[in-house]
Amino acid sequence: MRLAIPRVCLPRRSGPFLAGSTRRWYAFQAPGGPIFQVFNPRTKWLQKERSAANVEPSRQSDYLKDEIASRVCERLVDIKRDFPRVLDLGANSCNIARALTREIVDPDPSVPVIPPLSSKIGELVAAESSQSLLYRDANLAFNDELQLARQVLRDDETLPFDAESFDMVLSSMSMHWINDLPGVLAQINNVLKPDCPFIGAMLGGDTLFELRTSLQLAEQERRGGISPRVSPLADVRDVGGLLQKAGFTMLTVDVEDIIVDFPDMFALMEDLQAMGESNAVLGREMGPIGRDVLLAGDAIYRQLHGNEDGTIPATFRIIHMIGWRVSEDQAKPLKRGTGQVNLKDILENK
Amino acid sequence: MQPKTRPIQRFAAAASKCSAEAAVYGKCIVEDYNSVHKDKCVKEFMKLKDCFLVAKGGK
Repeated sequence: MRLAIPRVCLPRRSGPFLAGSTRRWYAFQAPGGPIFQVFNPRTKWLQKERSAANVEPSRQSDYLKDEIASRVCERLVDIKRDFPRVLDLGANSCNIARALTREIVDPDPSVPVIPPLSSKIGELVAAESSQSLLYRDANLAFNDELQLARQVLRDDETLPFDAESFDMVLSSMSMHWINDLPGVLAQINNVLKPDCPFIGAMLGGDTLFELRTSLQLAEQERRGGISPRVSPLADVRDVGGLLQKAGFTMLTVDVEDIIVDFPDMFALMEDLQAMGESNAVLGREMGPIGRDVLLAGDAIYRQLHGNEDGTIPATFRIIHMIGWRVSEDQAKPLKRGTGQVNLKDILENK
Repeated sequence: MQPKTRPIQRFAAAASKCSAEAAVYGKCIVEDYNSVHKDKCVKEFMKLKDCFLVAKGGK
């Protein structure tokens, strides 16, 4: 924001013109830096509402969100604590709540089955801006297996919660639609109690690069130009910096690729629509993609990325992040060079 | 349970019948995808589109 006091007009005088004597500016920088608007939140909201209105296709296409939610919850196994009050930010259709009520079965049969994690959690607050999506599964059985409070948010980027009111914040598959990621992370840090974790997962990096490149080539060849069809996404390298900037400590950031095979490009796009994950980039071309571009895109997708068996792969790259709210009595890394035991001895004798 | 097939499903069904033409068009683009320009493969695309329109039938 820049305020300017109107120029003071003085009668012209002869003699040397003194720069600065006739003009006085008052300028200051708004705190927090500029916020870049990339996505249209209202479009995203509409897409989620529409997807939830079609209950069956919406449930069928929940496979990705359920899978990622369960991977987020698996990370809780390593934290030996109970969490009286937990926030699920951007809950979609409460996929995290569903994952928490399931047993964790390891593919290796010698690993014991872990009982549902909901026993560690007192109350789960599921916050989401799309009411239809949030309440889509409100009368399914898993609702009775943990204490779940649903809360509809006015918008995805403002957390209406008191400071230091949660023992953990979870977020799965929603933060890639947030414009002001640094601001939201700072708010998450604020609602956490000291020494409490934030565990999140969002799409990033090379997610859907096959679709992106195929549509770009198709549009370039058919129409002689391209428009944004796949969101710009945060990269792994950015996320560490963002978490640090928001004040989290003991960061863990890692990446997982989930590759899903589809029969054709149209099936992929239909599923994305049913998930409510269609394009919501500001400045995208309005209206549907032209038929010529679709036809060309499918042909290019198959040729450029297709599998041997005629299916096409779609990559979803998930960025997992864990950060802890700073606290005085938190374990801190020791100073460099204070180590007494050689790590090599431990690892070799194991 | 949707009573009628969505347009995109009919589109996909018709497009799947032209895999040979699609492969020719795809090869034309992919063999030099760093210098794609408008109508680079217009001949191949028109063949694909003719096949698609026949497969789709009707309107």
